[in-house]
Amino acid sequence: MTDSIRVAIAEDSGVLRDGLVQLLTDRGFEITAAVSESEGLRASVQGDCPDVAVIDIRMPPTFTDEGLRAAIDLRRRHPGLGILLFSQYVETRYAADLLADDAAGIGYLLKDRVADTSDFVEALVRVASGGTALDPEVVTQLLGASRRTDSISRLSAREREVLSLMAEGRSNAAIATTLVVSEGAVEKHVANIFTKLDLPVSQSDHRRVLAVLRFLDS
Amino acid sequence: MTGDVDARGVRLQFRLRGDQKVIVLSEARLEQLRRIRHTIWNEPFARRTWSELLFFVLSVLLAAAGMAFIALTMFAGIALAVTFIGLVIIAGSLRGARGIGGFHRALARNLLDEHIQEPEPFVARPGFFGWLQSALRDPIGWRSVAYSLLKMPLAVFGVWFALSVWVDAFFCLTYPLWGDGALRPPEYGFVVNAFSPGYLSAGTSGFFHSVFIFVTGVILVFLAPWPMRAVVYVDRRLMRLLLAPDAMTARVRSLEHARAQTLDTSAATLRRIERDLHDGTQAQLVAVAMRLGQVKEKLAAERDRLDLDQVRQLVDDAHKGAKEAIVELRDLARGIHPPALDIGLEGALSTLAARSTVPTDVTVALTDRPTPAIESIAYFCVAELMANIVQHAHASRASISCAQQGQWLRLVVRDDGQGGAHPALVGSASSGLSGLTDRVHAVDGRLHITSPPGGPTVVTVDLPLHA
Repeated sequence: MTDSIRVAIAEDSGVLRDGLVQLLTDRGFEITAAVSESEGLRASVQGDCPDVAVIDIRMPPTFTDEGLRAAIDLRRRHPGLGILLFSQYVETRYAADLLADDAAGIGYLLKDRVADTSDFVEALVRVASGGTALDPEVVTQLLGASRRTDSISRLSAREREVLSLMAEGRSNAAIATTLVVSEGAVEKHVANIFTKLDLPVSQSDHRRVLAVLRFLDS
Repeated sequence: MTGDVDARGVRLQFRLRGDQKVIVLSEARLEQLRRIRHTIWNEPFARRTWSELLFFVLSVLLAAAGMAFIALTMFAGIALAVTFIGLVIIAGSLRGARGIGGFHRALARNLLDEHIQEPEPFVARPGFFGWLQSALRDPIGWRSVAYSLLKMPLAVFGVWFALSVWVDAFFCLTYPLWGDGALRPPEYGFVVNAFSPGYLSAGTSGFFHSVFIFVTGVILVFLAPWPMRAVVYVDRRLMRLLLAPDAMTARVRSLEHARAQTLDTSAATLRRIERDLHDGTQAQLVAVAMRLGQVKEKLAAERDRLDLDQVRQLVDDAHKGAKEAIVELRDLARGIHPPALDIGLEGALSTLAARSTVPTDVTVALTDRPTPAIESIAYFCVAELMANIVQHAHASRASISCAQQGQWLRLVVRDDGQGGAHPALVGSASSGLSGLTDRVHAVDGRLHITSPPGGPTVVTVDLPLHA
């Protein structure tokens, strides 16, 4: 199902890089490059045109946000390239930087997520095909930090769950599977959320993410 | 015939010429006299002389203005002390005094080349009352007031004792231009009075009188630099005493510096530990979890589609990764606090020596046990030095000695390697030798390196036993 997806990996930890290569090859991805710093990544993206790049945020030489800056730069040069940022910690500011103008083909996950291999692979496929994958931790932080508490408190518990999953970038079908409800029920919840939060209704999943994130961040 | 005679402590040579003793001065003595004569002849024209004169005049004017300000504000403040306003005025007075002190320092720096250390800038606590309290307690302000107070008698004395000579000299030298029998130079100051009262009025008027006074002026010009030098010397001492930060402040400053360095070092250490955890153990564990995740999914697949070899390989990798993570964690923990230190420095140093690839002798002779902080610094010093020896020194033998000298612990680490070690060359700022130097300084210790090219390298570290 995923044989055609081409992936570039930039991760400075050797064990993790090898592990990722092994996992993704096993799952039928094609690895175009596995490098340990951002310069090599830039060169390989230029040469091999992968569909998606998995990038560790903290890499040499600065060990700060090297990967994030490389990601923003690559985004500008290769608009079609999906980017999955990969980090030991969640920094809401990084997510905000990355999602500044578009959420299509953007992912931001904690490294821990690779332990649940299927979820990780699913997120990678989503990002490669222009979707969004935000770590639940990022969404939780955004929800916690949001000043729109009164609007959010108007949502029912179920609606809040749907909002979180929506913000992670999941489609209605995926949300329905996760919550074990019908897709029609999810559609109803989504419509309610948009009405209650007074958001413009958007069709595509990644526009929806952006709308929700903008709302939470404002 | 020749011989020696001791005159006033100076050995003079003499020669007999007939019955007369003719004193022959030694070459050194002659040179000394020549230098004194040279100084006396040249001093009126030396830059220093005129700088000191200018400094004295300006600083007296400044001190007078300053004293007027301080006296006025202090009296007003004390008079109103019962009310709150009085305190505010005194605080303002002290702030002003601090500024005046700054002017005096600038004057001394520019004219006397006397570089008096600047005290630290005034730091007020937040809020108006904080400012008031800080200003009233500012030791620099009070010391500036003390300087202004002591400067007053010095200024009065200086005007009479030193400036007067210059004034007399000026009037005497210019007397031929304006003087006549009726008008005479003012007889003022101590030198002219020292000749005899009415000295300048003596004699008759006319040409010879003018010449007499002019010659007096010339003599005075050659005398004048010296009383001024004495007065300015006293002023220099006074400024160094009262306008520079006192010993206590200097100590506080050095402690603050040490504290800042300690904080930086510990922040750098925490950062290093975080990075080691992040890049090593955490990544290792994520990889282990990832492999186990894969195994779990593969095991959940249909029995006939199960690739047991692959699963075995994944479990193998995960197992290996977990063991590596354990080793990394242990090394990391040892880097934070070596467990061997719990039994004492001797055991810990022996362990270090045993782990080194360079054969190392250890001698520890301590009668008192140092405090844990000192033991830890001593341990990490030796660990760092041993690491350097292994990596850079190309040594065939090394020795560690740890001895007690009174309340001090002296560590000596020696190797027979190629030498050339230097704090700036070995290691980076946060770790390595310079990091050690910071840690040692933080407890008032000393680290000394002798490492000539070709070796041997001897590093001596002195640490207080208790910190």
